[in-house]
Order: sequence, then C-alpha cells, then structure tokens
Amino acid sequence: MTSSGAPIRIKPDQAIAEAAALGEKIARGAALFSKLHDDDVAIATTPKDEVWRQDKVSLHHYRPLADKKVVTPVLIVYGLIGRYTMADLQEDRSLVRNLLNLGVDLYVVDWGNPSRADRWLTLDDYIDGYLADCVEAIRERHGIDKVSLLGICEGGVFTTCYAALHPQTVKSMVLTITPIDFHGDTVENRLGHGFINLWTRSLTPDDVDRLIEAYGNLPGEFMGSVFSQMTPMRTLMKYNLDLLEVVDDDKKFLNFLRMEKWIADRPHHPGEAAKQWLKDLYQDNKLIKNAFMINGRQVDLRNLTMPVLNVFAKDDHIIPPATSQALGAKVGTRDYTELALAGGHVGVFVGGKSQALLGSGIAKWLAGRE
Amino acid sequence: MTPFEYMQAMAELWGRGGKDFAAAQQNLFFGMAKAAGQEGASGALPASIFDTEGLTQANQAFGKLWSSAIELSQTISRNMQGGETHDPIVAGLLGKIFDPRAWFSGTDGMDQALQRMAEGPRLADLWDTERKMLTLFNAWTALRRCSLEHNTVMLEAWLQAAGKFAKNLNEKADRMEALGSWRELLALWVETANTALLETQRSEAYLKSQRKILMASTDLRLAQQEIATFYSEMFGYPTREELDDVHRTVTELRRELRALQRMGRQAPVKRDTPPETSPRRTRKQSSPRRSASS
Repeated sequence: MTSSGAPIRIKPDQAIAEAAALGEKIARGAALFSKLHDDDVAIATTPKDEVWRQDKVSLHHYRPLADKKVVTPVLIVYGLIGRYTMADLQEDRSLVRNLLNLGVDLYVVDWGNPSRADRWLTLDDYIDGYLADCVEAIRERHGIDKVSLLGICEGGVFTTCYAALHPQTVKSMVLTITPIDFHGDTVENRLGHGFINLWTRSLTPDDVDRLIEAYGNLPGEFMGSVFSQMTPMRTLMKYNLDLLEVVDDDKKFLNFLRMEKWIADRPHHPGEAAKQWLKDLYQDNKLIKNAFMINGRQVDLRNLTMPVLNVFAKDDHIIPPATSQALGAKVGTRDYTELALAGGHVGVFVGGKSQALLGSGIAKWLAGRE
Repeated sequence: MTPFEYMQAMAELWGRGGKDFAAAQQNLFFGMAKAAGQEGASGALPASIFDTEGLTQANQAFGKLWSSAIELSQTISRNMQGGETHDPIVAGLLGKIFDPRAWFSGTDGMDQALQRMAEGPRLADLWDTERKMLTLFNAWTALRRCSLEHNTVMLEAWLQAAGKFAKNLNEKADRMEALGSWRELLALWVETANTALLETQRSEAYLKSQRKILMASTDLRLAQQEIATFYSEMFGYPTREELDDVHRTVTELRRELRALQRMGRQAPVKRDTPPETSPRRTRKQSSPRRSASS
C-alpha cells in the first residue's frame, strides 16, 4: 500500500447505519418468509390438459385465454436439461401466457423424470419416437397435416432434427436459444461465454462413455454444478447479496424463489442420449456438418424448407449467439428470420422487457405465416 | 473446518492409517499380490497397491499456497484502512470478503457434487474382498488428491484476484479516491474476482484438473460398483449389470412397440397430402439456397 491515503474510508457511524438498515431489511424479509406457502411459489400454473401419454412422456394442451388468431397449433419442445416450466415461470413472466393471450393454440411436451431405468433411451427415441408421436397426436386431434414447432435450447435441436427428417409435417419452426454450431463459441470467444462447449471439448469421448457407465445417466445435479461454474461470483453471492437485495420486496422475493425452484428441478439426462449430446454434437459438431444421424437417417439442415424464426439472446453465456446464428447459412428456406433479444439465456424468457418482446415477436411471426 | 484443515486431516488419515494398515496386513497383501500375479521381482508389494504418496505431495503444495493466501488476505485487510484507527466493523467485513475460504465455499460446486455422487454408501463393513477394497481405497485417495490439486489451481486464481484488487486499491489511493461504502468495496471485489475466475476457467490447468477430478470420481464409483456386484452375486441379488440388461431389453421392447403402434395408426389413415417424400427430394424442390450452392 502507498502512503497517499487509505483507499477505503468507511466511517464507523456510516457502517453502523448501514448495518442497522440491513438488520431491518432482514427482519422484514423474515416476516415475509414466515407467511409464504407452497402455492405462493408455484410455477407453470397456466391451465392445461393432458391429451396423450407414452411411457414417461406426456403431451398437454393449454386452455385458450383469447380468441384464436394463429390457427395452426404450436408445440413447445423443451430439452432434457432443465424443464419446460421455465416458459411458464409465473403469471407476469410467461412465454406460454403471452402466446395464449395473443391467440396462439399451444401444446407442450413434458419428458417426465428419466431415471436410471431410462439409461438406454437415445436421442433417436426422443426425436423420431416420442416427439414424432406428439406431432402425430396433434395432427390427428385437429385433422391437419402440419403443426408448428417451438423449440427451446436442447429442445430446439430436437425440433430442428425432427423438422429436417419430417418437413412435410411442419408448418413453421421457431427456435429459441438453440445451439446448431456447437463450436461456434470460438467465433467471439467472449470471457465467460461458452464454457460448456470448452469444458466438453476438454474431455475425451472415452471420458464421456465412462461417466455414463458409472452413473447410468447425466445426473441433473452434475449439470447444475456445470451451469453454476459459468457464473462463479454470482453463484458465490446469490444467497447472501442477491437475496439480501430482494428479501423485503414481496414481488422480487417471490420471483427469486420461483427461479430457484425451477433451477432446483433439474432432471437426469438419459445416458445414451447424453452420449450423443456430448460426443456427436458438442465434441464432433455433427449437426452443422449435416452428419448427425437419427435412426439411420442423416439430419440434413437443407431439408428445413419451412419458414424458420431463430431467436437468440445477445448476452447468452450458455448458447453464445454465433452457435445459433450459424443456422442461417444452412437452412433450405428463403423464409429465415432472426430475432436478437437483449439479455441472457434465461433472461429472454423471464426478464422484464425481453419476455414480452419474445411472445409478441413469435406470435406476430406465426400469424404472418398462416 | 477449512479446506486446508480438511485436506490435511484426510491426508494424514489415509497416510498414517494406510501405512499402519499396510504394515499390519503385509503378509496378507503379499499373499494376495502373489495370487493376483502382481508380485515384483524382489517379492515386495506392487507400488500401486497403496498410493498415498501423491496425496501427501498434493497436500503439501496446497498447504504452502494456502499459507500465502491467508497472509495476503490479512495484509490486504490490514492495509486497506491505511494509517487510520481500525474500525472493528470494517475490519470484520474486510476479513470476511478477503477470506479465501469464502471462495471455496462458492466455487467448488462440481467438486462437491461429484464427491456426493461418488461417495455414496461407505461399504465400510465389506473387508472380505481385499483386492477390490484396495482398488476402492486407491480410487478414493486419487479423488482426494485430484480434488486437492484442483483446489490448488483455484487458490492460485484467488491469489491473482487478491493481487489485482490490491493494485486497484493502490491506484485509487494514488488518485486520492476512496471507497465510501461496503457496497462499493464489494462491487469492486466481485468484478475483479469474477474476471480472475473466468480467466482461470479457460486455462488449460483448470480444465485439466477438473477433468482429472471427474475421471477420479468415475473410477471410484466403478470400484464401488465392483464390490457391490461381488456381494450381489454372493447373496443372489441382481447386479447393476443385470438390471441394466433388463432395462435395455425393456427399452428395446418399448421401442418396437411404439414402431408397431405407429405402423398400425398410419395404415388406415388417408390424408390429403401424398405419402412422405424423401428428404433429399423435398430439398431439391424447394431449397433455393442449396440449389444456389450446388
């Protein structure tokens, strides 16, 4: 240290005042916390009905909240990492509600809770089996030939593969925060962005095989820890500083708890499907090379001949924008649109401004393709 | 218990316990090694049979670094208030912010998750399968060693962050600027530390040590499964392999059932559109970009 002067001059009376204010804040938060019930932090509350089920997978149809303006039903497809409930976190931060309010007819597929017994399920089973059957169920219910797909993250990869294999059943496709070029993280190489890509490439294919051999699946807890590493100081400060900031504000505190609830609900990823996800896609980057195979068939992105809307988050540290935007040069349609939204991976869905723009942007785009 | 104390205790436990146990059971191990065909030319136990040396070395490296970190932490906390009288509240706050233990509590998520997953049941009463237990013992020791090596990488990152932070503060002092609240102070530390952590995560040393932890935890898990399999077979319970085999069969049968159901559904249905065309043909008909590039 130099002798120029002390770099910190926190006066004792100021520190005491701050401590007292903090104490009051914590007391108010404790009072609020004591009044909370499970219902207060319920997520995914938009009413829906189960219309189809097979094994652990179920298909749900949301009840309409407004007159139908987009006739073709839209199927929301989330991935196996995390759960679809992120799209319907709470009433005022819900892509599902926003779309329903704008007259979109919505379905969602729930992959359930895969266990060790589901170790042998492959991406082929999920994409060409369950997802294909969900699309078929919707087509039969409505007596139509085509449905629209809305894929989120890994679910976006599922819809991309499905649409490339069965383009005749897809009216239009919306992708959100979806990786297509799994090595696209190297384009910008931003600090703190694309760690999963880098980390996965630091493993060998044998490492992945051994991991799945030992655990049978990709444990949800494990993936949660990988995500936590991507925002190290935030993880460090989350339960003290972040929580302290919101603890005495009813609305913000409940937002915080609902988000924590979603984060904690992280299912296991079936083992064989995880091997394909990590080795074929993250390591070998087969999707962008048109070399990924499902049920012995090549997933050729040039078969994406339906209109495509590709939504990405400009500050997405999990799926860096370039990994999504790579799709534009590969699709077989002229009707390809990109929508770049401010915010990060989850912020696009639950952030104040972005989530509203996301819903209206998708609904408007879909209506224009009816 | 601090990470250092914890690691030290673990290393001592395995080091002393392992050597004592090895000495007491030398004849048994010798016989076992001989039976397993691992006997060395001199008749000594194979070097790999008890591997605590690596753990001790890793522990020493970590301990040395930890001492430096604590010293730096105390120096920063002490000096930041300059020549003024130390305020106990501020001093306490600074002490907490710059305590490297806080760093570990928030950044070893994967390490903890892996260890929780790998450790599972201790199987402490299964001492009849010596060879398997030795493999398990070594796998456990290897996981601890890898964890210690990874923590050493993290501690180096902390030292870098703390050094940069002190430099920032010095520069502020030179400019006669002062941080007036703990929030400002914390914001500066969070920004500095976050950058240091993210830079570390991209380093080869970090990725390498984390991969080693992952593989060590996997090896430990597999070693445990081997023992569980031994006892399952002994007492007539289904083994993990047998269960996996059953699950695989069920998955394949379900897959076939789904395919049959799909065929059944599709057979009587008449649609307005022609039957499914091949992807390649569809692409040629309506893919202007592909046409342009071909």
